Amino acid sequence: MGKIPPAFRRAAAQSPVSALLKANTSAVQEQIPLPISDLQPQKRTSQKKPIRKNGSATTNSTAKTSVPSIVFESPNLSDAKSLFNSLVSSTKNAPSDPSFYNSILQSFSSVSSLQDSIFFLNHMIKKHPPFCPNRFTYHILLTQSCSLPDEQSLSDVHRVLNLMTTSGFPPNQVSTDVAVRTLCGCGREEHAIELVKELSSKNSPPDTYTYNFLVRHLVKNRSISNVNCFIKDMRDFGIKPDLVTYTIMIDNVCNSKNLREAMRLLGVLSEEGYKPDCYVYNTIMKGYCMLNQSGDVLGVYKKMLDEGVEPDRYTYNTLIFGLSKSGRLREAKKFLGVMAEKGYIPDAVTYTSLMNGMCREGDALGALALLDEMEAKGCTANSCTYNTLLLGLCKARLLDKGIELYQVMKKGDIKLETGSYGTFLRALCRKGRVVEAYEVFDYAVESKSLPDVAAYSTLESTLKWLQRAREQGLAV
Amino acid sequence: MLQQRLKKAVTDNPKKVADLIDLVNLPTVLRDFMGQSQSSRLNCFRRVWSYIKENNLQDPVNKNVVNCDQKLKSILLGKSKVDLAELPMLVKLHFPKQPK
Repeated sequence: MGKIPPAFRRAAAQSPVSALLKANTSAVQEQIPLPISDLQPQKRTSQKKPIRKNGSATTNSTAKTSVPSIVFESPNLSDAKSLFNSLVSSTKNAPSDPSFYNSILQSFSSVSSLQDSIFFLNHMIKKHPPFCPNRFTYHILLTQSCSLPDEQSLSDVHRVLNLMTTSGFPPNQVSTDVAVRTLCGCGREEHAIELVKELSSKNSPPDTYTYNFLVRHLVKNRSISNVNCFIKDMRDFGIKPDLVTYTIMIDNVCNSKNLREAMRLLGVLSEEGYKPDCYVYNTIMKGYCMLNQSGDVLGVYKKMLDEGVEPDRYTYNTLIFGLSKSGRLREAKKFLGVMAEKGYIPDAVTYTSLMNGMCREGDALGALALLDEMEAKGCTANSCTYNTLLLGLCKARLLDKGIELYQVMKKGDIKLETGSYGTFLRALCRKGRVVEAYEVFDYAVESKSLPDVAAYSTLESTLKWLQRAREQGLAV
Repeated sequence: MLQQRLKKAVTDNPKKVADLIDLVNLPTVLRDFMGQSQSSRLNCFRRVWSYIKENNLQDPVNKNVVNCDQKLKSILLGKSKVDLAELPMLVKLHFPKQPK
């Protein structure tokens, strides 16, 4: 097939690659149980439970209402203090669990300034001695100090860290993690880097999870030279990138089509003595697909086998996707068999890749037959499958089949993608079926397939094109 | 090709999107039709299209053609028959380009 519009490539690329990406990231997450994402929910639930328990345990009816319902709405410090005082005095058996007070502080800190939060904490300690703050208490303040997006310096963060040290909870790796994640979350990457370096020089270096989180965040939001600079600086503190770091980076440079950097990273990887694992190979394969060198995926696969790395289903899906994309459909189909041999059942992604390849070769009918085959095997087609097919059928000028498929999609509430929507509209208008084009437009807007503006401008420009073609006597 | 152009229009030219969704003071004829004094080009088009559907104004023989009623005629250059393909252009006539 001659020209393939980039929209097609994208539409087709979405399923396998995004699925692969998801798989990869989730797999990476599996490898590294992120400390904070585990901690926070725990913290939160452990905060909530005691509240409820206390609400039901106390016999006092006023306490019943006041204990669980201490949620601050005004940032006023004196109001908060008096509210706390009344809470403590009205409740006979105030909970001794610090997490109860932490939740109060958390609630206040979400509406007030850092200064007031610290005052409030001191007030709580003074007014109610049974409460002794723990590490989480200070982490609430730390989070607050990190979450101001427009802050110009780290002075607030330092203040909390100093407070922690003087209170007997010197910042540890969890503190670093909390701070880094919050800082990155509100776009203060420079501050996060500064803080990490500073803490590393004070002998509390980040753990690998924090480090990799920061790297992952940086490659997404900052230039690659920035990231390399950070990695280089961190080496001075004895923190080296590991295999996960390299996987993150290779994935990212491939996504931004920077082949040279990807090659350099691969070189560094082997220099450092790391043996690439399945994730790295999958990422490299995906990279080749992204860089329109899909033909090379087979080479990666062979290397994988040579190195004795066991391919997983994502490897096969990527392989089939890459081969289909570069028009080597026969080889792609061969791997369907290999996949089955290894016990991996082909899924919607596999089939969609194959259909994409067949449509590229102009065999849209064959792709349609594959849909039947796949459904017969109990594999449900997803929206990407349908969109790939719709686009392929329209391209192959099989409009009637395309309309049939569209009706199926409509019945199943399957959204249209930008590429297939545009191609379908043009195919309809080419045949002078303008009403149907309007109807498709209505469906696209109704099903929220794409933004109203995009749907309308496609319709408008298609009709404009039709008008012009009619003027020149080229269309009916 | 079209897709590329569209994508470009959306990303490179926010003005084009603005033309579609910005509220504009409507001319008198449109004001009567829409029942409001301000609307965007996109909303206006959708109102006209839904008006056509609600009132079954499409020609029963050739659905691509709209037989305009009085109300529709007033806003579509007084034409009694309008091809659906030219509808966006006709609506656009009411939204002249803003002088810079």
